[in-house]
Amino acid sequence: MAAGGLKDFATGLVHPTLRLGVTGLSRSGKTVFITALVHALLKNARLPVFEAHARGRITRCYLEPQPDDDLPRFAYENHIAALAGNDRRWPEGTRRISQLRLTIEYEPQGLIARNLHGGKLHLDIIDYPGEWLLDLPLMSLTYAQWSAATVAASRKPPRTIHARAWHEHLSSLEATAPADEHVVLKASEVFTSYLARCRQDDVSLSTLPPGRFLMPGDLAGSPLLSFAPLDIAADHVPMAGTLAALMARRYDAYVSKVVKPFYFGHFARLDRQIVLVDVLSALNAGSAAVADLKSALTDVMSSFRIGANSIVSDLFGRRVERVLFAATKADLLHHTSHNRLENILRVLVEDAARRAEFSGATHDVAALAAIRATREATVTRKGEDLACIVGTPQAGEEIGGTAFDGTGEAAIFPGDLPEDASAALDGSLEGQLKFVRFRPPLVKETTFPHVRLDRAIEFLIGDRFA
Amino acid sequence: MTRKPQAFVIEPDTTQRPAKAKSRKPQAITDITFEPETTDSDIAIVPAARAEMRPRRFHWGAILVSALFALASLWAGLAITQLIEGFFARSPWLGWLTLGVAGLAALAAIAIITREIWGLFRLNRMEGLQERAARAINLDEQSSSRDVLTELQSLYAGRADMAWPLKELSSHAADIMDPSDRVHLAGRLLLEPLDEEAHRIIARRARRVTLLTTVTPAAALDILFVATQNFGLLREIAALYGGRPSTLSTLKLARMVVTHLAVAGGLALSDSLIQHIVGKGLLGRLSARFGEGAVNGILTSRIGLAAMDVCRPIPSEKPAREALGKLLREIVSFGEKEKSDAPEQSQS
Repeated sequence: MAAGGLKDFATGLVHPTLRLGVTGLSRSGKTVFITALVHALLKNARLPVFEAHARGRITRCYLEPQPDDDLPRFAYENHIAALAGNDRRWPEGTRRISQLRLTIEYEPQGLIARNLHGGKLHLDIIDYPGEWLLDLPLMSLTYAQWSAATVAASRKPPRTIHARAWHEHLSSLEATAPADEHVVLKASEVFTSYLARCRQDDVSLSTLPPGRFLMPGDLAGSPLLSFAPLDIAADHVPMAGTLAALMARRYDAYVSKVVKPFYFGHFARLDRQIVLVDVLSALNAGSAAVADLKSALTDVMSSFRIGANSIVSDLFGRRVERVLFAATKADLLHHTSHNRLENILRVLVEDAARRAEFSGATHDVAALAAIRATREATVTRKGEDLACIVGTPQAGEEIGGTAFDGTGEAAIFPGDLPEDASAALDGSLEGQLKFVRFRPPLVKETTFPHVRLDRAIEFLIGDRFA
Repeated sequence: MTRKPQAFVIEPDTTQRPAKAKSRKPQAITDITFEPETTDSDIAIVPAARAEMRPRRFHWGAILVSALFALASLWAGLAITQLIEGFFARSPWLGWLTLGVAGLAALAAIAIITREIWGLFRLNRMEGLQERAARAINLDEQSSSRDVLTELQSLYAGRADMAWPLKELSSHAADIMDPSDRVHLAGRLLLEPLDEEAHRIIARRARRVTLLTTVTPAAALDILFVATQNFGLLREIAALYGGRPSTLSTLKLARMVVTHLAVAGGLALSDSLIQHIVGKGLLGRLSARFGEGAVNGILTSRIGLAAMDVCRPIPSEKPAREALGKLLREIVSFGEKEKSDAPEQSQS
């Protein structure tokens, strides 16, 4: 890591590069955010809050050839085609890691910038399946600890209902039985289906490691993925040759061969980070999902190196010096509710935000929609003004007994977010909120409408153009 | 606006929500008191440049002055009436003429008074605007941000030079933005061109003061010149940012500027250093008068900057020192260029 840091520092002098970490659990909108960000910069979208852009100091933006030869390129063109094509759909969930380098040419103000690199900034962005992020906390857990925690969590509501089949199978396993490959395979299969069930919309849980079980990428069928928790104590020491020992061996291999390379290759050297959080889906599913989201975020964020940089950290592994926590899909709400959404997000990320503050990093919270799929409207019903959003709901969505077929427009009043943000966690909101997913907007101009994408860009990279 | 979609479904929500919200009110009230505190914590410190005004107190002095003023106007009224009556006694033709002239004088007086009051009112309005803009930026307050925007738009609505920036600003009206970002945007679009213009005005006046001080033969004269130039500067800057400078409001503005200068002590340090080098040092050696002129010029630009701070509807976030440095550079660079466009400038 130190060597990588030195290399980064040296190349950074001549070719300033900013590694933007787009962090977010699965379905939080990473791919859409990256696509929208790149599109907005390439197509010169309206970004009034992004100062360097609004002042016309950014002269040119273009995509560079892939800098790392061992990483696939982010399929930017395909995603744009999906979003702006005739059938207007959101890009498919990300299945593997990919990378994109965007180069921004600008009019530099400083003397050094003008002479040394002539106002060029490379922005490296990495996209990856959000499930994989959940693996980061595993780096600090042993197999027995992880096993015990997973089993304990599954015995609490709301997981316990969905875990019934797995629990049955779990009770048939004996940790001290001799190791048997078939038993291990079966166990991991049952465990994976439990994880997949917990992820579905009506449950919407977030803390579901190991991430590769849900999104194996190119590891599908590999022995690295054949293990499962056993019902053992956190300080259990497996005997050689037992089932538990085999599982523990696989787990350790998973952590060292899958999780650590992923972390050190992509997350240990970030400069800026945006943490995308899909608060609204969690609110849809209820307070249990919100609480689970909070714990997942807390776990994940503790793996990042956040803090102000110094000369030493410049040389030996940089730290994330700016973190933006963004509540995505803010276009599913009227803008008058955005403050409340931000307050809920503040509650969810308070631990990470406090850590960022202690370590000297700058952080902020924003309600964001990288691509705005709705318009706003006020509907008067029974003498009451309702702040609504108007858009084309996706086929299969349903609200108040009306199902949508994905063609007609509708005005949606999703309910009032609580004034007191902690109500999102205490369960007093059950059934009072319903956020409907919309299809991507019909694009009239060449660029997508957005909500505060410019503010996010300004916060994340704006200082580099000063 | 009116193209309402077909499917609109909220029956269960409309009946439940308001009732629920009301029933939870007592809880919410305790939380309301906490909410501002959380937003307080991330306040960006924007120095509100407004000078502190002393509250007007009720004073015997004021009563004396107004009573004397009332007496004087009564006396004047009486004198004018007698004069008109006297003329009427001589000939009705002369009487009507005098009455007409007196009426014209009264009209002019009323016009002047209205203008003065309007000017003061405008100055107060600008002050209030500045305060609200600072609040919108610091506290991210939606209502004050909206107020500031509408006020700015009405302030600059009739000006030809602001038509384009205003159009640009209103094109962003539908974008969703944070209140503070919106105020920043308005500042960037509307006020930054004006800032540059203000810098040009200050630089011109400062150069003129320098020149006049250097060439005037008598010390008393140059006090007069510097004073008129500085008052002219104040009026120009106030007018630039949308004030209506009249005599009284210029005097009030001058008082605010002086107070602001006294408050902004940070500027004095760098300034005295410059004075030392420029006035007593290099330039002073070359020519005592020119050294004095340069010091007066710097003083004028300092007053101009303070006037900018006081008049700018949205408080500037650039540190004062940076502004002075930039301005000094501008004065010098213009001074070099001035050889080519000096004739134009002296004529204007």
